[in-house]
Amino acid sequence: MTTDVANVSSIKLAWALCWAAFWTGFPLKLMVAVLLLAMQVPPWEGAGMTALLIVSIPVDLWALGLTARTYFLERHGLELEGGIGLTLWWQGALIGIAFLAAAYFAGSTAVSIGKQIAASIIGGIKKIFPGFSIAEQITLELLLWSIPVAVVLGVLALVALKIYGWRIKATVKSAGHPTAAPLAERVRRWDYARVPRDPGLLLASFAGVIVLLTIVFWLFLPVTTPHPSEDYKVQVKKPVKPLKPEDMLKQTEMSLAKADAVLHSLEQEKGKEKKKATKPEQKGK
Amino acid sequence: MNALAQKVYDFVDERIGLKTLEAKMMNEPIKGGSRWAYVFGSVLLFIFIMQAVTGVLLMFYYIPSADHAYASTQYILNEVDYGWFILSYHFWGSSAMVVVVFAHMSQVFLWGAYKKPREMVWLVGLALFGLVMAFGFTGYLLPWDQRAYWATTVGVEIMDKTPIVGDFLARFLKGGPTPGQMTLSRFFVIHVMVLPAALMGLAGLHLFFFRSAGPAGPFRGTTEELKAKTDFFFPRQVWKDIIAMATVFLAISALALVEPVELLQEATPDPGDYHPEPEWYFLFLFQLLRWRIFSGEFGQSLAAIVLPALFMLLLAALPFIDRNPERNIFKRPIALVSWAVVMIGIVVLTISAILNREYLD
Repeated sequence: MTTDVANVSSIKLAWALCWAAFWTGFPLKLMVAVLLLAMQVPPWEGAGMTALLIVSIPVDLWALGLTARTYFLERHGLELEGGIGLTLWWQGALIGIAFLAAAYFAGSTAVSIGKQIAASIIGGIKKIFPGFSIAEQITLELLLWSIPVAVVLGVLALVALKIYGWRIKATVKSAGHPTAAPLAERVRRWDYARVPRDPGLLLASFAGVIVLLTIVFWLFLPVTTPHPSEDYKVQVKKPVKPLKPEDMLKQTEMSLAKADAVLHSLEQEKGKEKKKATKPEQKGK
Repeated sequence: MNALAQKVYDFVDERIGLKTLEAKMMNEPIKGGSRWAYVFGSVLLFIFIMQAVTGVLLMFYYIPSADHAYASTQYILNEVDYGWFILSYHFWGSSAMVVVVFAHMSQVFLWGAYKKPREMVWLVGLALFGLVMAFGFTGYLLPWDQRAYWATTVGVEIMDKTPIVGDFLARFLKGGPTPGQMTLSRFFVIHVMVLPAALMGLAGLHLFFFRSAGPAGPFRGTTEELKAKTDFFFPRQVWKDIIAMATVFLAISALALVEPVELLQEATPDPGDYHPEPEWYFLFLFQLLRWRIFSGEFGQSLAAIVLPALFMLLLAALPFIDRNPERNIFKRPIALVSWAVVMIGIVVLTISAILNREYLD
């Protein structure tokens, strides 16, 4: 049921470990990144990047160690001793740095050469078909330079994985010893290394972590948008004076008294006008 | 407290058979054991629930009228406490739903899980894919800014090219000669009432068919290995599902924080300097329409309607065409190459559409 590590492809071995370790550590790193973002600290520059890198190192050490132990136990029946995570991490880090440097130089060279070739091919096509549209040109150009670039980067990645696979095999040879446990037992141990044994504890601990993180996240999250719209005029509310019934009554009484006075003066004026109007009539008689 | 909880549990169990239901839900055997590849369905359900929750919160403030839609969206973004984050989460959640639907469909396709006896699961899944796209399309209009208005105008124009029913569909959705109040009302009702109801019904049917047919399991491994690894749904698959959901929640939150929603100017029937463009997951199709070979009335109909419809019909017919019981993707070269070509095509055309923006002026 188990296969000898020496017979496994180095590339497949390195890929299996890297892929699984990446996804094992990714949620934890993402959690830190989201908290940094909520604090308005971008995790891709300055203090944010430093904090994320500092957190990432122990996470990667743990993820690589866990992945390697479970992978070799399940697939190859091997128990790994010692700080396997640390050994695999520094080897992976060195190979990763070399790969990134090589990928940068080879990639940028391939892009510039690819673009030149693509431009000359498209120039040739345009001479034959003058109506060659911009949309078709963009897609063809993209394909013409991205395919060779992808091939170059893919070959470099395969070389890096091959080297890392060799290193993993050498490390496992010195740090691993075969286990006599049957497959079912190994599967059970492999699974319990990743998932808590107690379902109740699993749900309770996870719920606790979610509640805690939600509170921390909400404390940091800005209440109003950090990117207010220039077009939007914030509605400034005018302060409203508190209503006092006694004042209102006084005001009403004063208004009524004023109205009464106006009415009274109007009536008086009307009375005078009436008198004036009746006097000439009497004189005429 | 535990005794009280037990009493409540027993009370409910006596009346609705909770223990049986729980056993059916949690003790589902998973052939070959739990896997990360099986998390997509649960993640989709989680994203939908979060979209429903954030959508309801947004509806507390959103006004679906052409006069107030833009102002109420700006109010949510600029004045409602945490409104900017809720709206941005809802916006990115819709994109996440499309990405995870693609991942889920790819996993089912590559695993050969659409084959007998799971044809019905696949067909209902395709209908669900259509609903997710419709959610994105109808929700895009609601902020009522230039981007929303013109993306909808372009989308409805594309729909208009459908033979026979196109004119009716376009007139029904617009409710008038140009997008206006009737369009907004119809899109709003479809987005918050019709589609959620349809999605809940179809998702239930999808789960029912899935449980009836049983999970396909891995396509590799000896019988002894599969037997040794076979496990119940709870706790290991549940644990993996929870981790995946948390990761997706964090990813959507990160996107909402890095790129929060910002509105363009309020919608007007004059695009001005704005170049109409659909949502990013329709960009590949939009770019295809720009190709000279698809110019003209016939060419546009061919690229916008006929080719996508034929592709969907092909997907629907897939379990009935591909009757080979072999599920290992490495022994199905046509399937593997076809999937890679479609994926590369979508990616290349989407990037082309983004690069094409520079040449629009």
